[in-house]
Amino acid sequence: MARHLLYFTADNHYLYSSAGHRLELEAKFSADDSGITTFREHLRGRKGTLFAVVADLAGEDFHEEQVPLLRGADRDAIVQRRLAQRYRDTRLAAALSIGQVAGPQRRNERLLLTSFTNTQQFTPWLDALEESGARLAGVYSVPLLAPALAARLAPRAQRAIVVTANRAGLRQCFVEDGRLRFARLERTVDMVPQALAAFARSETMRLAQYLATLRAVPRDGAPLQALVVAPRGERAAFEQALVSDARVAFQTVDIAQALGAVGLRQVPEGAGAEALYLHLAARKPPREQFASSDDRRRYFVWRLQRTVVAAGALAFAACALYASSRWLETYELRAGAADHAREARSAAERYARITAAFPVTETTTENLRVAVLEFRRIAEASAQPESALVHVSRVLEQFPQMDLDAVNWRLGGLGENREVERAGAAAPVRAEHAVIVEIAGRVNATQRNDYRGITGQVQAFANALASGGYQLARTQLPFDVTSEGTLTGDIGGRDSGEAPRFTITLARGLR
Amino acid sequence: MNFTREELVRLAFPTLAAIVLLAAGVWLVTIAGESRVKAQAQFAAAHAERRQNADRLARIAEEEREVREKLDVYKQLKRLNILGEERRLEWADAISRIRNERELLDLTYRVNRQRLLKSLPGKPGSVDFYASTMIVQLDLLHEEDLLRFLADLRASGNAYYSVRNCSMRRTGQAATGTTITPRLRADCEIDLITVMDRGAKT
Repeated sequence: MARHLLYFTADNHYLYSSAGHRLELEAKFSADDSGITTFREHLRGRKGTLFAVVADLAGEDFHEEQVPLLRGADRDAIVQRRLAQRYRDTRLAAALSIGQVAGPQRRNERLLLTSFTNTQQFTPWLDALEESGARLAGVYSVPLLAPALAARLAPRAQRAIVVTANRAGLRQCFVEDGRLRFARLERTVDMVPQALAAFARSETMRLAQYLATLRAVPRDGAPLQALVVAPRGERAAFEQALVSDARVAFQTVDIAQALGAVGLRQVPEGAGAEALYLHLAARKPPREQFASSDDRRRYFVWRLQRTVVAAGALAFAACALYASSRWLETYELRAGAADHAREARSAAERYARITAAFPVTETTTENLRVAVLEFRRIAEASAQPESALVHVSRVLEQFPQMDLDAVNWRLGGLGENREVERAGAAAPVRAEHAVIVEIAGRVNATQRNDYRGITGQVQAFANALASGGYQLARTQLPFDVTSEGTLTGDIGGRDSGEAPRFTITLARGLR
Repeated sequence: MNFTREELVRLAFPTLAAIVLLAAGVWLVTIAGESRVKAQAQFAAAHAERRQNADRLARIAEEEREVREKLDVYKQLKRLNILGEERRLEWADAISRIRNERELLDLTYRVNRQRLLKSLPGKPGSVDFYASTMIVQLDLLHEEDLLRFLADLRASGNAYYSVRNCSMRRTGQAATGTTITPRLRADCEIDLITVMDRGAKT
C-alpha cells in the first residue's frame, strides 16, 4: 500500500507518495491558508489513505534531561510531566531515550526532549488529515530519521554529523551510538556547488565547535566524522572544499550512492537530500515520533486489523505447513502400501500359477488339510477291540485253569486314566486316550481254601496279561489279602463248589 | 485503550477472517491426521498381506508334498463314502448282509440321532465332523463272530466306525442239541463318523 508523505518546510509543503523503491511528488502546497485549502481539496475522496508528516524546520528544540529509571505507566507519567514542564504545547513533543546513567543514589534515564518552537503551524494540516479520514502514521522530523540514515551511510561510526542539502536548507544532525543528540537547520539560498560546499564545511566546523563547547564530544579525542551527502554532480566540488582537520574528518557521499544505501531507485525531479529521509519515513519509520496517540488512532486500528488478519494467516500457514508434512507422510505411506499390495498380488499370482500344477483336488487345499488332519486325529484316538481280544485269548491258552465270564473292552478318556493311576498301577498310562479291558473270570482246578495257590495263579495270570503294551491297572483277587480288607476262611468245612472269581483291568495307551 | 463501536465494527471482519483462517488450518490438520491414520492402517494391512503371501509362496514345495500326501487320504475317505451325507440305508443293508453271510444268530441294533462332533473353519466353507452312535447286541456262538462282524462292518464303508466299547459275556444257556444255542452275548457301542466338506467343489 502506497504511503503519502507531507514534507513540511517553513515555506512550502510537498506531498510525496512512496511505493516500493519509488518516490513521487504529488503536489506542492504553500504554507499559508490557501495552501491548507488546496490540501483539503487534495485530500477529498482519500479516506483511509496512509499519511506521514516529515518536518524539516529550523525551530526544533532539543533538551537533555534525566529522569529516574522507570518503566510502564510510571515512566509515561513522568515523561509527560517533563514534556509539559518544558513545552507549552505538548501535542507535538517527544522524548527520546539516549541511554542510562548511574547517579550517586539511583540509576537515571537520559532523555532528549524535543519539540517544535511553533507547533501551531502544524495544527490546520493535521486537522485537515483528521477530517479527511486519512490514517496518520506519525509526525517525524528529519533529525528523528537521521540515525537511520547514518547507520546506512557509515554503519561503524560511533559519532557522526550527517550533513545533507535539503529543500529546507542545510541540515546537520549529530548522531552518537545510533541515537540523535542534536540537530540544526541552516537556511540556504541558491548557491554554486563550491559555495555550498564551503558553506557546509564552515557550518559543520561551527557545529563541531559547539558540541565541543557543550562537551558532547571529547575535546582531545579523534576527529569527529562528518558524513556530507553531496548533491547530484557536485561530489568533486564538495570533496575539494571539505578538507578535514584535527577536529572534523569529512567524508563525502554522492547522493546517488546514498539513495542506493537506503534502497531508493527513483526520485522526483528537483528533490534534494530530503528524499532520503522521506523514503526512510515511509519504509523504516523510527519508533519515536511527535504525533499523539489520538492523532494516530485510525492508523493504530488499521495496524490492528492487519495484525489480526496476519496472525490468522500465519496460523493458517503454520497449520497448512504441518498438514502438508502429514500429507507427505500419508503419500509415502500410500505409496508404500501400493508397493506392498503389488508385491502381495504378485506373490499370490505366482502361488496360484504354481498351485495350478498341483494334483486336481475336489476341495480347496485348506479344507483338504483340515479334513485329513482332523480325521487322522480321530482315527488315532480310536481303536478296535480285536487286538485286545486276541491278546487275552493267547494268554488264556497258557492258563487252562482260568475260565472267563466276561470281557469288557472300552475306550477310556483322560479322566479314566487318572482313576487308573490313582488305583496304584505300577506304570500308569500317560496317553490322552487309552483302551481299557476288564476281564472277569474264575479259577478252576484248585481247592477254594488254597488261598495262597489261588492268589498266586491269579497274580501270575494278571502278570501274563500285562504284556504286549498292556499295563495292569487293577486286580481284584478272590480274597482280600490287603491289610485294609477283611480276610475270611472256613477251614475243614464243606466245599461249596463255586470257583473263586477275580477281575483284572488292563490299560493300553493310544499314540 | 478503549475502542469505539465504529472501531469494533472495523475490527470485526478481520477478527472473523482470522478465526476462519485458524479454523481452516485446524481443519486441514485434522483431515491430514485422519488421512494419515487411514494410510497407516492400509500400509499395515498391505504389509501383512505381502508377508503372508510371501511366506505361503516360500512354503509352496512343502505344501505340494502335503497336498499330494493328504489327497490320497481324502480320496480314500471319498471312495469309502465317509465324506458326504450319512447313508443310513446302506448301513442297514450292510448289517443285514453281514448277518446273513456270517450266519449270526440274533442281531439287534439302534442308530441314534446324528450329532455334530466338530466343526472346523476352512476356505471357502467349514469342515464338519458328524457322529451317529450305533448300539449293537449280538448273540454269538464263538467270540470270533464278533471280530468278523466288526471287520465286515469296517469293510462295508459308508462311515468311519469308531468302537467306543464292546462287552462280551457268557449267556449261561446250556446246549439243547436240537437248536443252536448262543454261548456268548456281545453289546457294542460304535460311533459312525461321517465328514461334510462345505468347501468341496460340486
